[in-house]
Amino acid sequence: MAESAPLSPEAVADRVRREVDRALKRNIKGLEFLTSTRAEVGAMARDLVHREGTAMLWRYRPVVDEIYRRPLLIVSPPSNKGYIFDLAPGQSMVEYLLNRGFDVFNLDWAPPRRDEAHIAIADYVDRFIPDSIARIAEITGEREITLAGYCMGGTLATIHAALHAGNAVKNLVLFATPIDFDTMRLFQTWADQRHFDVDMVVDRLGVIPPELMLGAFDLARPANRTAGRLHLWTNMWNDEFVRSYRMFDRWAAETLPVPGEYFRDQIKKLMWANALVKNELEIGGRTVDLARITVPILNIIAQHDHIVSEAAAHPIMTLTGSTDREQLVSKGGHVSLVAGPAALRRLWPLIDGWLGKRSV
Amino acid sequence: MTDKPFDPVAAWTDMVQKWEHEINSWSGKLTENEQFGAIIGQATKVQLVAQRAFGEQMDTLLRNLNLPSKAQVDQIGERLDAIEDSIDRLRLAIEALAGKAAPPAAAVKEPRRTRKPG
Repeated sequence: MAESAPLSPEAVADRVRREVDRALKRNIKGLEFLTSTRAEVGAMARDLVHREGTAMLWRYRPVVDEIYRRPLLIVSPPSNKGYIFDLAPGQSMVEYLLNRGFDVFNLDWAPPRRDEAHIAIADYVDRFIPDSIARIAEITGEREITLAGYCMGGTLATIHAALHAGNAVKNLVLFATPIDFDTMRLFQTWADQRHFDVDMVVDRLGVIPPELMLGAFDLARPANRTAGRLHLWTNMWNDEFVRSYRMFDRWAAETLPVPGEYFRDQIKKLMWANALVKNELEIGGRTVDLARITVPILNIIAQHDHIVSEAAAHPIMTLTGSTDREQLVSKGGHVSLVAGPAALRRLWPLIDGWLGKRSV
Repeated sequence: MTDKPFDPVAAWTDMVQKWEHEINSWSGKLTENEQFGAIIGQATKVQLVAQRAFGEQMDTLLRNLNLPSKAQVDQIGERLDAIEDSIDRLRLAIEALAGKAAPPAAAVKEPRRTRKPG
């Protein structure tokens, strides 16, 4: 067992001074925290270039004079806001990519209205993504793009790439993207076919409120919220920590409702039938065959992802027809993959290296 | 034996992390149980039925107080969302028309798409 070395009186006094100072700062900043308005997010200037109800296509303004030929379209997961890619200066994947010469678009989502409850997976992959690609072609003159997606946004990007193989998508970049839903044990239990009446939920609610899905996430890590607040209090003296906590907290609190039919598809076709990984997923009367994807694929996985494990994301590396496939396993969790400071130092330069060569 | 002095804040942080890990692991084991899925499924059903019953009661109360119900407030919110959607589409259509009408020099200069990795 480790023993502590005796401290000199000066060192003790120093420590006491530092802790008193931090305690004072904690109290002052704690009060500021409780009375503050919501955290500001977004580092880079952007323009709304297409809108179709819940679907909003944003273009981030390029910041360099010479950019890569192929634009990059990032699809947000339908249940989350896209500003996770652009939290704040110095903590923004979009800022990094713009500075590296990429032309970045983001297909983001507004909360669906009740008259959009009928929107299903088919609408995302056969309407919203193709319409966005067409609009990007109008703006840039480029008919070839890199399609990227985060979490379920990646699953939608994958389904689109398989159904529209040979068209505009020339590279596929996936962040924490579930493909094999059988391996998502907690969500399987939560939505157990024998007990979870998805038809009743969808028919009764129409649009599925975020609380329903947040319950499942809380079950996965029930201690995280409380522990997060305890860590916040300990680090209340640290402005950087507090700023980062507030931005992530705002993002988590702004989880979006999703259209009922999309939710029904997600539960029945992906969770229960696990149809995507079996090449049995039917969308608009067509079967999604992953082998039809032959473009280069970059599959990015978080080592400690409690939502999308490596087992859930890895099958894209074996089931597609692509011969140019690379997988990166990054330290950190589901969210820090696209927004954490470690990603800025280690992961994003790797993405830049991989994508730059394939964007000319 | 180590030269590292005792740090109460580090010890506290360590304790919180261990507690967080233990609770999460315990939850992981609990949720693997099939009965857990049955309870959650039932709880969701009960919650929806209770919400509906409570909502109906509340609507009656608000109507008696001559106040708007949640459904009416939701309707107003949806109409505002629809108006925002329409304004966005109109703005985009106007910008597209203005772009076509304006001479090329007036258009926003696009960066060159000739970048090479390096």
